[in-house]
Amino acid sequence: MSASPSNNGDVFDDVFALLTPERLLHDPRATGEGVTVCLIDSGVDQAVLEERFRQRGQQIYPIAGGIFTAGSQQPLPYEGKQSTPHGTTVADIVLSLAPRVRLYSADVFGPQGSCELDVVMQALHWAIAEWKCKIINLSLGVPEQRLQQVQRRYQFLRAIEEGYFHDVLIFAAAHNEHPLTRSYPAAFAPPLISVDKSAFADPLQFAYNLREQIEFQAHGRGRLGPFASEPATSWAAPHLAGIAARILSLRPGLKPFEVKTILYWLSKHFRNESPA
Amino acid sequence: MAPTDDAVETILIVDDEEPVRRTFREWLEGAGLNCRILAAADAEAALVKANEHTIDLAILDWNLGAGNDGLRLLEDLYLFNPDVVAIMITGFAQQATPLDAMRMGVRDYLDKNQDLNRESFLAAVGRQLHRIRPAKRERRLHASLIALREALEKILPLVQSAQALQDPVPLPQAIHSLLHFLLRSTGGTDGVLLLRSYDAEREPQETCRVYDASGAPVTAELVPFARSLAGTVVSLQEPYAITNLGKAAADGAVELQPFERGRQSLLAAPIAVAPGVQVVLELFDKKGAPGATGNTAFTVEDQRLAAAAADLGAEMLRQALAERQMQQVLIQAVEAALEASASITTTLQGTARERQEQPPPAPVLERLRETLNENLAAGGDAADTLRLAEAIRVLAVRHGPGAVEHCIRVVESVRALLDAATGEGETRP
Repeated sequence: MSASPSNNGDVFDDVFALLTPERLLHDPRATGEGVTVCLIDSGVDQAVLEERFRQRGQQIYPIAGGIFTAGSQQPLPYEGKQSTPHGTTVADIVLSLAPRVRLYSADVFGPQGSCELDVVMQALHWAIAEWKCKIINLSLGVPEQRLQQVQRRYQFLRAIEEGYFHDVLIFAAAHNEHPLTRSYPAAFAPPLISVDKSAFADPLQFAYNLREQIEFQAHGRGRLGPFASEPATSWAAPHLAGIAARILSLRPGLKPFEVKTILYWLSKHFRNESPA
Repeated sequence: MAPTDDAVETILIVDDEEPVRRTFREWLEGAGLNCRILAAADAEAALVKANEHTIDLAILDWNLGAGNDGLRLLEDLYLFNPDVVAIMITGFAQQATPLDAMRMGVRDYLDKNQDLNRESFLAAVGRQLHRIRPAKRERRLHASLIALREALEKILPLVQSAQALQDPVPLPQAIHSLLHFLLRSTGGTDGVLLLRSYDAEREPQETCRVYDASGAPVTAELVPFARSLAGTVVSLQEPYAITNLGKAAADGAVELQPFERGRQSLLAAPIAVAPGVQVVLELFDKKGAPGATGNTAFTVEDQRLAAAAADLGAEMLRQALAERQMQQVLIQAVEAALEASASITTTLQGTARERQEQPPPAPVLERLRETLNENLAAGGDAADTLRLAEAIRVLAVRHGPGAVEHCIRVVESVRALLDAATGEGETRP
């Protein structure tokens, strides 16, 4: 017996009607279980997060990772510390939405406190090839005016594409002044999911709003850290990454374009809800 | 670049016969020796040339005519350059007094009547140049080192005093100007600038300095950068404001610095100065509207202003820091150059020949002695073995491989003699 479209519309309306936030995001199994997420950021303070989630009655998986530095092929061991608090705020957002993910911290700032493009590309490759992560979050970027060299830009694009062709979902934060300032890799929208900030009543809400190569908008406020309450794309990207982790825990084998389509369809359900 | 007077060797031909002078000159020029070639017909003309140029090699006719002889001229040339050497052209070699001549710098004889032809002449000149050139290079190096040392010794105090005068001025002034402008523009009541630098090859690797609104350094026990507000704002790469500082830090994600504690509102702006250097401006407690009590929050306009000021301030701070670093680098370079020149001067003590004859450095000898002691299982003494080896080495340096061969034969003869006398050395079952 074949399924027939409903009387009111075509088959796509039927599919759309099935892909609801209730079924995909609020399923009890949508916890992030079985999904590995790499945060390419400034390191994560594991002790702070463990204590925070213990107080909530939740246990998180131990966080693995490495510290990436210029001129070194192998990352230095991650010892549960942050280079700056930024990465811990990002990790807290992902874990708040998908507490059962397995986190990898790729610290690309390191003790020197600044980050180079080569180091980010090295961390991307490591997260894909060595840690086999399914999701990578990049709450960082290089403004367009600082990446003028076409060759360098192409090199960066290839590093992002490596993720796409290995079924890895990469979430990249737009520049906070988007669209006045464009930044990479967020502007490489097709092989990754680019995220701008907005305010939503529920952190699980988001929108598809294509504007100057940036496709999605997610909740731009975090919960942990001194600047978490200030709207920032740095906090928006991990929100959408956490939402994707929830979806992937229902079906871990989904490809990046499948997840992107699901996110797009899900966003239609939020369209009529008024923003916070 | 044209060679300086001292850069190439100068050969002076002195002969009263013009065809001889011309022939010698042609031979020398044709040989491509890269030398300056001068010629003089008599002693007087030769001394005029010696006054104008440093003569390295003189090719002198033994009998210059008019009662002059080449040896006497060499004595006079010696006064101009004590390192001058000579090849004597003579028809009467037996007339020469070899000891005096050698002492005076005569290194070779060519007999006009017997062995003087183009090949023998150029061979003799080539032999002398081969000796002159390394010695001359060494003298030049010595002279340059002395000049370098003198220059460095003069420069170092100047650089140090310049730094002492300038160091406290530019950076604090730049900080004061920047903070003063921002406090006036945003209504902040106080501010600091935090400067953090990291160098994995330095101890301590992380250094943090804080300057207050007047540009004066703040002495305080600082929270590690990794757990500071400044660290977060550096990662965010743009200015951020906090309304309630105490509350914002209450979740334990960061620790407040001593100068942040007790403040209400904060505006923090990162300044991109240089890789490995993080600078953060922090403004505190924005004044409320006139008549209002208490402080108010920094606005989005304040953040934009701070971002613009950070861009301008970056250049100002970059220059101030670069000036400071440049002076330090200059001092380090001068000190290193002084040290290096002292080390090279010590290494070059004495002539090349004297240095070759010096025993190896003490640590090398000690290591050799240890190895010999380990290996000489049956009989023998490491110190004696080393003495013998050193004696043979010096012999080789002074008198060449022939002397060493002779020495080996002497040792073997002594051994054979002693073997015969004592019956040792015979083949035993």
